[in-house]
Amino acid sequence: MVKLSIAKILQIALKAGRVTRKYPSEQPLLTPEFRGAIRIDPTKCWGCGACVRVCPPNALTLTPKDKVATLEYFVGRCIFCGMCAEVCPANAITVTKEFELSSTSIEDLKSGVVHRLVRCSSCGELIWTEAELRATVKSSPISEEYITLCPKCRKLKFGKAAMLGRGGSSE
Amino acid sequence: MSKTFDDIVKQLVDMGGVVEELKASEVYVRVPRDRLRNFARFLYESGAYFKTCVGVDERQLNNMFAVYYIFGLDELGKDVVLRALAPEDDAWVDSITSEVPAADWCELEFRDLVGIEPRNRLVRRLVLPEDWPDGVYPLRKEFKYDMRPPVGAFREELAEETGIPVGPYHPALHEPEYFELYVEGEKIVDVAYRGFHVHRGIEKLAESPRFTYKQVPFLAERICGICGFVHSTCYLMALEKAAGIEVPERAEFIRSIVLEVERLHSHLLWLGVAAHLLGYDAGFMHAWRIRERVMVLAEYLTGSRKTYGINIIGGVRKDIDLDKIDKTMRTMASLKEEFSKLTEVMLSVPQVKSRASGTGILSKSEARALSVVGPVARASGLYRDIRKDYPYLAYKRVSFKVPLYTEGDNLARLLVRVDEVYESIEIIKQLIDALPGGSISVEEYEIPVGRKAVAAIEAPRGEDVHFIITGVGRPYRWRVRAPTYQNIPALRAMLRGTPLADAPLTIASIDPCFSCTDRVVVYDMRSGRRSSIRITRGG
Repeated sequence: MVKLSIAKILQIALKAGRVTRKYPSEQPLLTPEFRGAIRIDPTKCWGCGACVRVCPPNALTLTPKDKVATLEYFVGRCIFCGMCAEVCPANAITVTKEFELSSTSIEDLKSGVVHRLVRCSSCGELIWTEAELRATVKSSPISEEYITLCPKCRKLKFGKAAMLGRGGSSE
Repeated sequence: MSKTFDDIVKQLVDMGGVVEELKASEVYVRVPRDRLRNFARFLYESGAYFKTCVGVDERQLNNMFAVYYIFGLDELGKDVVLRALAPEDDAWVDSITSEVPAADWCELEFRDLVGIEPRNRLVRRLVLPEDWPDGVYPLRKEFKYDMRPPVGAFREELAEETGIPVGPYHPALHEPEYFELYVEGEKIVDVAYRGFHVHRGIEKLAESPRFTYKQVPFLAERICGICGFVHSTCYLMALEKAAGIEVPERAEFIRSIVLEVERLHSHLLWLGVAAHLLGYDAGFMHAWRIRERVMVLAEYLTGSRKTYGINIIGGVRKDIDLDKIDKTMRTMASLKEEFSKLTEVMLSVPQVKSRASGTGILSKSEARALSVVGPVARASGLYRDIRKDYPYLAYKRVSFKVPLYTEGDNLARLLVRVDEVYESIEIIKQLIDALPGGSISVEEYEIPVGRKAVAAIEAPRGEDVHFIITGVGRPYRWRVRAPTYQNIPALRAMLRGTPLADAPLTIASIDPCFSCTDRVVVYDMRSGRRSSIRITRGG
């Protein structure tokens, strides 16, 4: 009985052969659907932060500091879900097949895009990244006077203009 | 069961319950907190299984604490939820464990985490660590999700055990367990279990501002390393039910297919582990070799070997195209062939058969009392399968058998899983054949506040239950009851009276989330000597 089962398992083993791949000298087994680390194209990114809002593990962060905002991708936290690539309005994020990501330095696991911020020309508050401003102008016609204003000042200005238009006084 | 759903609801009302909400699949009945046990007894005697209980801090809504006891009428496919309220300054409810032993853990859990006292039963700390300060309840709303309370003093009992090796636990593996086996010579006379070493507070995290409805599926997927997709699907099913979101049929099919793929890999993994524990490493190697095909298929279908990440509210993210259909069908065909050859050999090995049969017996009555789930229940003669009892997703469209064994021993649990692999292969084939067209997710949805829902899924290890109360932007309360939660208490019944050598296989036979560095402490009743043994030979 025992001998019989050994003969049978040998048969199975001989048929299966060697299945372990000699990685890394051989190619790893990856299917076309595999999701690895993401790559952010800095020329396309607006810095709008849609990816940051959707990222479940907070691998993407957008931190404004002084005159710049940094979009940082920390691959150490990434769960490779690819939700960021789906929501990106600028198509700046691509999901790559990269998975050999280990490093001896934590800094190597971080990458990012630095965006210059624009201040409101009226009140001086930080409003937007330069890139998003450019993208907005490109996609929708918006008057030069309003583009550099923060939402609050824009509302104010529009209100005043509307009143003037109706013949009212702005004073 | 002769009673209909209406009869049961009517009877509950006659007993003094107030129907708060009546849905097609579940009913919420408010009951007086001092008479909970009567209601529980009535439901249990009417054939209901106990699913879980949930403590909720509802002070923001109605200034009360609430406890939900969820019962499943399997034969009718409906849930009965008993809700009892307790004021903050006098937070207690009547315990139901004398009637329903299965409620033991979850009552202790809401005592630990919400601070509602279950009365008329023995209490001890279950979830919180020994050095957690008294009177700090993590699931109360005023407790911030990232708060770290000052560590209190260790209790007396623990101090007595100084110097005795207990452990080690592997902190990186997701469910370290700790069993204390009390033996007389070679025979086990009693078992103590201490778990929750790696309680991660996932439920708390999901209701914190850190998370939104959309992000929680990815969090839910990380509850378990083996059946993660079950958890994310179950969360979404509960949410979609609560919010009344209609999921497109195609998405339901895709979810079901991936769920079955997950069951295949889980059962193959378990078979490998079981063979390994029996010292039959050839079986282990080949089971895992076959499993690798399933893993590759899972990656091809979803983009990831595990934690698939394709579940979103109202559907899925990845469609199944013709290439994938072709690959799935081919994988299933070869899997079936290889698996039947392997199991034929594996089950003919006399050592496997003799070590598995007659060991770790769980009788039907004990299985019923503890409301065990999944293959453990089916091996003890309980006909329970959520896919049949509460047909969800696309399971109403397929025909399959539920394997049933009555021996209740380790071999029966092994055979249930072997049979289920064949059934899963057939289910996947049927689902692929019947895959309907259409979109794979809804475009828009709205999630109203304050809705409740219970959802259950048949995970590889048994019934997984999620309960949700919707809140603003994120769940107000989300409760997860994994299948192992329900099955571990049954181990005590299985292990008592068996030889020590059978303990590793028996513990593994319920397919707990198993880490290979688990150890058991052996306490010899005659000499009073303690020693620790490795539960697996490897690791």
